[in-house]
Amino acid sequence: MFWSECEMCIDHNQLKQLYKSEIGAFYQCSSKNCYWLEFAGEWHPLKVSDFLFFKKEIDSIDLLSMLEDPSRTSDLAIVQSYRAKRCFLLNVHEILQLRELLRAARFMIELNSVLHERLQQQLI
Amino acid sequence: MKDLLRLKTSLKEEIENILNEQIKVEAHSSAIYLAMSSWCDDQGLDFSAGFFEKQAEEERNHMMKIFKYVNDRGGRAISPEIQNIPKDFESFRSVFELALEQEMHVTQQFNNIAEQCMKHKDFVTFQFLQWFLEEQIEEEYVARRILDMFDVIGEEGTGRWEIDKHVQKVSYSEE
Repeated sequence: MFWSECEMCIDHNQLKQLYKSEIGAFYQCSSKNCYWLEFAGEWHPLKVSDFLFFKKEIDSIDLLSMLEDPSRTSDLAIVQSYRAKRCFLLNVHEILQLRELLRAARFMIELNSVLHERLQQQLI
Repeated sequence: MKDLLRLKTSLKEEIENILNEQIKVEAHSSAIYLAMSSWCDDQGLDFSAGFFEKQAEEERNHMMKIFKYVNDRGGRAISPEIQNIPKDFESFRSVFELALEQEMHVTQQFNNIAEQCMKHKDFVTFQFLQWFLEEQIEEEYVARRILDMFDVIGEEGTGRWEIDKHVQKVSYSEE
C-alpha cells in the first residue's frame, strides 16, 4: 500500500530534488512524507526510518574484505530493505557511488533541519 | 520543504549511534555478570552468585532504559549481539577485580556520551544520562568495597566463606 501511495508522488510531480549525481538522485515527497531514491535507472520509495537504516546498511559494508577476498562471492554485496520492491546487488564501485549519494542526501536533509530551526527562531 | 527528519526523530545520528553502542555495553555487562554468577555458584559461593545474578538483572534494566529512550525519541534501538563472554575466571578475587574494571569502563562510556551530548547541544539526552552517572557512583563504590574486604578479611582459612557472606551486605549511602 505504501508504494502505490508513494507512486502518486511521481505522477503528480510532487518531488523536490535534494541531490543529483551521475548515477542517481534523491528526492523528498512532502505530501506523502517519504523519500525517493533514483539509482541505476530504478526508483525506490523510502520512509524516513527506512532511509536511515538503509544508509547505515550501505555504510557498514566491509569494502576492504570484498577487495581482499579473491572468491567470486565477494564480488557483489546484496542489500535488502524489507519495504523496497527489489534488493540491491552492488559491486564495489556501485557501493561507493551509492554511499556518496546517500551521504549527500543526508547532508541536504540535515541542512534543511538547520534552516527550519533558524527560521523557527526568527519567527519567535 | 518539510523537515521530515525531525518529524521522525529528535536524536542526532551521532547520539543515536553512541546510545546504541551503550546498549551493547550494558548487555555485555549483564552477560559477564551472569557468567560470574554461574562461576561463583560452581565454586560454592552462594551469596556471591546471588549478588552477581542481581547485578546481571540490573545491567539488563539499564540496557532497557536506554533502549526505550532511543525508541521514545524516534530513533531505532538495536537489539545487541553479545560476544566474548568468559566462561572461567582465575580466582574469587579476580572476579571482583573484573567487576570493578567493568564498572569503570561503563562510567567512562557514559562520560563519553555526556561529552558528545554537550558537543551536539543535546541537553535532553544529557539530562537523561544524569541518572546513569549517579548510578555509576554506587556501582563503583560497591565493587571497590568488596575488593577491600579481600584485604581486610583475607581468603585463608574461612576467609572466603566470610567474604562471600558479607558481599550482599555492601551498599552505598550518600551520607
